[in-house]
Amino acid sequence: MKKLLYRPLIMVAGFALLNVIMYLTIHKFWIGGSSFLPMVGKLGPGNKLIFAFIVNMGVIVGSFVGAFTSGEFRFRLPRTESIARGILGGILIGIGITLAPGTCTTAFVIGLPMLSISSVLSIAGMFAGGFIMYSMTMGKCSVKQKKEII
Amino acid sequence: MPVSLLIAGFLFGIGFGYFVQRAGLCFAHGLGEIFTGRGQRIIRMFLVIFIISSIGFMVSGYVNPELGLKAIGELRGYGFWNLMSGAIFGAGILLNGGCILGTLRQIGEGNMLFSVILLSFIPGMALVVYVLDPLLKKGYNVHNILLVDLIPVAAPVITGVLAVASIIWLIILVGQQNGRNKRNN
Repeated sequence: MKKLLYRPLIMVAGFALLNVIMYLTIHKFWIGGSSFLPMVGKLGPGNKLIFAFIVNMGVIVGSFVGAFTSGEFRFRLPRTESIARGILGGILIGIGITLAPGTCTTAFVIGLPMLSISSVLSIAGMFAGGFIMYSMTMGKCSVKQKKEII
Repeated sequence: MPVSLLIAGFLFGIGFGYFVQRAGLCFAHGLGEIFTGRGQRIIRMFLVIFIISSIGFMVSGYVNPELGLKAIGELRGYGFWNLMSGAIFGAGILLNGGCILGTLRQIGEGNMLFSVILLSFIPGMALVVYVLDPLLKKGYNVHNILLVDLIPVAAPVITGVLAVASIIWLIILVGQQNGRNKRNN
């Protein structure tokens, strides 16, 4: 029974249910990329991005709790060779999430269920951009190497 | 903004983080899996999220008329900037292997590379907010459009049809997975 309850699909269902409960109770839902705009001084109308930022700080704590209680927590310092790639990827993400609000993970989790047109377009763009990057970085890798990377 | 609301948001965030960590949810990994032809895991996860959220958000409008379906984000430049931002974001997450949820999850799991990635958002966001936005703002032509604004069909019908189709797809995928598990055992 315990094994069944901890299946990934049940956990994903818990995430989605919690999002709906949050919307019903405090009239707000989880926001992804735009929530980091307070880091560059943009707080949004009525400081609403501060709320989204606080929620995402909670996500880090919750993830730590999940990892720690399941024995999956492992403190890892970045390898030097992966830092440059990470920084470049981070800058691209920073541009993407700001160029049109509601892009990023929010489009999958909130935008599509809300039937939002901007999210449909963002997801189409994500597949295109992701495929171009995939072709550039992993196109020549063997199937085994691809599986190891992903 | 009331402190009680911020505390409630933080507590909800802890719940989100716990579920995301236990599920191993990350749309960047999911995209990579789809491109390598092994995308069934992330599709199953997405379908579960879509079914629960679409029905939940639709029903919320009947519970409280202020809620219900709302346009997320902004449609900018008749969708051109949404496509562009999606493409740049998609390239970024494939490059470093973490979407927004995935990045936050990995930080919580102790992977400090993702703290560097999170801080790297700052120059990208600053570039758009302080350089590109002032230049491009006139061409944005901001709209907020839902699918129901384009199709002359009631929102519950669209949500209902999509939810039922998603449920059928999910049942097929779970059935295929169970079949594979049985064969492997």
